[in-house]
Amino acid sequence: MRVPLSWLREFVDIDLSPEALAERLTLLGMEVKGVHRIGADWSSVVVGELLDVYAHPSSPRLSLTRVRTAEGERELEIVCGATNIEAGQRVPVALPGALLPGDRSIGVTRIAGIQSEGMLCSGAELGLTPDADGILILDSESPLGEPLGRLLGDTVLDVDVKPNRGDALSILGLAREVAAATGATVREPLIAVPESGDATDDHLSVTVQDVLRCPRFVARYLDGLTVGPSPTAVQVRLMAAGVRPVSNVVDASNYVMLELGKPVHTFDAAAVTEDRLIVRTARPGERLETLDHIERELSADTLVIADPVGPLAIAGVMGGASSEVREGTTQVIVESALFQPVTIRRTAQAYGLRSEASLRFERGQEPRMARLGADRAAQLIVRWAGGRAAMGAVDTDPVDPPATRLTFRPARIARLLGMSVSGDGMRDLLARAGIVTEPAAARSSVAIIAGERPIPLDPDAAAEALVAIVPGHRRDLAIEADIAEEVARIRGYDAVPSRLPDTSMPGYRPDPRLMVDRVRDLLSGRGLNEVVTYSLVSPQDHASLGHDAQDPATIRAANPVSGEHSELRRSLLPQLMRVLVDNERQRRPDLAVFEVGAVHALVDGHPKEARHLGILLAGAADPLSWDRPSRPVDIADAKGLLEWLVERVAGARLRWEPGPLHEALYHPGRSALAIAELESGHRVELGLVSELDPRYLTACEAQAERVVFARLDLDGLGRTVPAVQRVGDLERLPALERDIAVVVAETQPAGAVEAVMRAAGGPLLASVLLFDRYEGAPLGPGEMSLAYRLRFEPGTRTLDEDGIERAVASVVDALRERLGARLRG
Amino acid sequence: MDLEAFAARLSALRERALQAVRETADPSSLEQVEAAYLGRKGELRTLLGGIGGLPAEDRPRVGALANPIREDVERAIAQRRERLESIALEVRLAGERLDVTLPGRPLRRGSLHPLVETEREIARFFGRYGFVVYESPEVETDERNFEALNIPADHPARDLWDTIYLQPPDSEATGTPDDGRLLLRTHTSPGQIRAMHEMSPPLRVLTPGRCYRYEAVDASHGFEFFQVEGLMVDEGTSLAHLRGLLDEFAHAMFGAARATRFRPGYYPFTEPSVAFDIGCVSCEGSGCPACGRSGWMTILGAGMVHPVVLRNGGLDPERFQGLAFGMGVDRIAMLRYAINDLRVFLANDLRFLERF
Repeated sequence: MRVPLSWLREFVDIDLSPEALAERLTLLGMEVKGVHRIGADWSSVVVGELLDVYAHPSSPRLSLTRVRTAEGERELEIVCGATNIEAGQRVPVALPGALLPGDRSIGVTRIAGIQSEGMLCSGAELGLTPDADGILILDSESPLGEPLGRLLGDTVLDVDVKPNRGDALSILGLAREVAAATGATVREPLIAVPESGDATDDHLSVTVQDVLRCPRFVARYLDGLTVGPSPTAVQVRLMAAGVRPVSNVVDASNYVMLELGKPVHTFDAAAVTEDRLIVRTARPGERLETLDHIERELSADTLVIADPVGPLAIAGVMGGASSEVREGTTQVIVESALFQPVTIRRTAQAYGLRSEASLRFERGQEPRMARLGADRAAQLIVRWAGGRAAMGAVDTDPVDPPATRLTFRPARIARLLGMSVSGDGMRDLLARAGIVTEPAAARSSVAIIAGERPIPLDPDAAAEALVAIVPGHRRDLAIEADIAEEVARIRGYDAVPSRLPDTSMPGYRPDPRLMVDRVRDLLSGRGLNEVVTYSLVSPQDHASLGHDAQDPATIRAANPVSGEHSELRRSLLPQLMRVLVDNERQRRPDLAVFEVGAVHALVDGHPKEARHLGILLAGAADPLSWDRPSRPVDIADAKGLLEWLVERVAGARLRWEPGPLHEALYHPGRSALAIAELESGHRVELGLVSELDPRYLTACEAQAERVVFARLDLDGLGRTVPAVQRVGDLERLPALERDIAVVVAETQPAGAVEAVMRAAGGPLLASVLLFDRYEGAPLGPGEMSLAYRLRFEPGTRTLDEDGIERAVASVVDALRERLGARLRG
Repeated sequence: MDLEAFAARLSALRERALQAVRETADPSSLEQVEAAYLGRKGELRTLLGGIGGLPAEDRPRVGALANPIREDVERAIAQRRERLESIALEVRLAGERLDVTLPGRPLRRGSLHPLVETEREIARFFGRYGFVVYESPEVETDERNFEALNIPADHPARDLWDTIYLQPPDSEATGTPDDGRLLLRTHTSPGQIRAMHEMSPPLRVLTPGRCYRYEAVDASHGFEFFQVEGLMVDEGTSLAHLRGLLDEFAHAMFGAARATRFRPGYYPFTEPSVAFDIGCVSCEGSGCPACGRSGWMTILGAGMVHPVVLRNGGLDPERFQGLAFGMGVDRIAMLRYAINDLRVFLANDLRFLERF
């Protein structure tokens, strides 16, 4: 809400600088987002008097003027293109050297052969009114030579009014806030309608068919009007408040909306058939051309204001073109109604017609404003457009409801705020916000939750309770906690003590982030860069993972922000590829990144989140260096990372099995599932590593030839981590090692060789390390040699050579029997 | 041969041996020299083998003559060996000379993402006061994201959250789950409802996580962003405790001298509601474009949990009081690291990541 201070001062005295006022309002909860100065961008613009206006000798569209800006000073000759000027008027004169909005500088120029010493300014050129054609005609009392900034300059506060304070979407409402902050008194506007002649009833009848959605409708009738521009001062004020002046009648309704927060609408009474207004829901197929000249088909639940022929306006949202007040209109009906906020909100959203008026209806209206708004509008229309207002008003519910009485317990409020304020102190504070208080009755009850039955107080509590009599505009005050906020707000949040919690601590709970943070620390320490990517991805991203557009497990946005981000990711891979491609474009093709994040899918119709670790490696395996050849990454790099990580985090060993098969995504011969072998003997699939299929890389527009993706199921990993790790004492006895080289068929998976050795090696075989793999002479064709270092760790008893030899022998026997292996020479 | 002649030959042998030792250039020739003079078939042995030609009375004196000579030669050889070894080492080391100004063998730099690290720092701070991380899902129901938080449908406050809704699951295939319309949580606040149902007071939890809003992306908005929600519920939890915690937090994150401002705000799920500001990190309070010339920057919203929210969490609002706060991790990270455009966080440009 834009609040011109000149307007605010009509309702309350302000002794503060605009900045100080802005801070006080902000600290009261009315956040001032900006302080704008109108006229700050004018320099050397002063009040001048037109001494003469005569035709330009050569250009018929121009006038030549003689202007003086001070008694006795040299007169200026200024060429002007406007037609609304005449001698004797006072006008804004931009002197040579003047600056105008938009950094426009004014000098001495020649226009159509005649020298012009400065410029006469229009309202538009000064940013004061929308009128760009005519010169801004000033009040004839304006002092000659007065800088215009002193005369018409203003300061405008931009106040962010929160949704619960519809009452503060008005100059009057903010004046009340100023009063609450400073202790000043609010002056309500003097509303007196100059009525005469016959009664409004004689000209107008109103029928409300839907009282629930239109609880009150007030109408007034005026005639004998002359529609034209509003007085300059009114236009300037509206512009400052951010509303474009239209005509005196329309400006009057906007003025009332800004001043009182009450939207009012005016109809050309001549366009209302049978002088009857009917508030009803739209009928099927009804159409209305709205004020923006768009013909709209009305949906059946739209609340309209109609005459017997058809709709005239969408209630509370926008008027119709047929009954628009325009030049030549002489009689108007002023409508000032109350509409159900939800109705207006839905309707404005449905038609895409949210306006200053609909905004105020949505936030709720003070009932008495229905009548006051109509009266104030009538008063201003007569003042600015002449004519007369008919006697009285049509009012469908003329009795204002009684004030809400809200019981509160000062001790309870003090406990909530952690602040010591007495009941009397609270009464004083509330009084500054216009809230009268009194002791509660003996059998009181207190509202804790809006719309629910209040809690009865026992006699002792009731004796200390107070009742707040809530003014009609404070629709936000409904429960005891609202009074607590009001007390704190008026007292100042700054007065709330700053105290660290001294209440009881909760019991122990494990931190679910501990393992994830460990994974992150380890991987970043290993030289990987952590990334965070979007979790909304495109259908194409999912299609290339094999989840097509109909896949029932994919979770899709109903109103996606864009086609690129319309589905919740089922894998971290697509966005990691995006990271690769983006960095390749920055000439950073060597990549080792990871992300920890949620992936989503519907499982049995319910959304499920799983926490994944994704790793993407591309380009060189190691940073480019002068002392070693560059080596491209491959699947073994990712395997090594996962083996190391799982061992470090969970103490578990990974083994690899071929798979998963996925055409055009994973390399058919270079993908493996990661299987964890747990102490308990259980085997759990924890993830996968894969070199990505070249076709997938091409589809992603990646340049890299070889990209490795690894995925680890962190939820699964977490379940393998023992709550308490049992390590035991270190064996005193030295370990023994034996190297053996095994010759097997070249097609023999090494994983099986290792598995056989572990199974046959007995309990003392602590580790099996493959340290050489060889094919070629002197081995036969189709053969390979795998060399392993077996490490035996004796438990408590000394391991003799015989024992080791027996263990090795049983390993070798098992290899021979199970895999047809032989020892290499 | 008499003793004198023998002594002369010994002396000559000594001179020749010392000469030969001096002339050796490497350890192997030294060994040859050693063998030639002192070895089993060396000259000294050979000479001593000829003592049979001496008169019998002279023979016992041979030892006294020969031993010093042997010792002299042995000593010379040992010295020479030491010298040669040290020369050899010097030569080797000289040959191993490197350009020590060469750079080291490079390692990958590695980095942690600033958003996740900021989130961890926030959690670490509140962990000191007993807040434990409580994770809450990203896909939520309208009920928990809005209704339970006192934001009914058609409430004007809904304008504060532009929401991404989800397509309903295929009801025929799955049997309709009747838990309300699904959406992507617009804030971490539904975690409050879940935490209150799952645990009982005294309650102190922190819910970090990804949130979503239907927004156009610009320098200060994204449709995906990160929040941390804090909730503390107990009988005596008060607005004063909220202020105490937030003041400490601001000092921990932005410096012990950082000014703070506690002022009214508005959220449907808190009453009273709080907006919490810190002195502008850019101008230190004197007023600049970054803070709208106010000298203050809002870093989070907070308040006392609204009674209806406590009740929706299964707690008695007459007995319990709660404080809650929520902050944008992106915003905290931007202020801490002097970043003006939050799009950089999700762009994952290595040039940016490697600054952390």
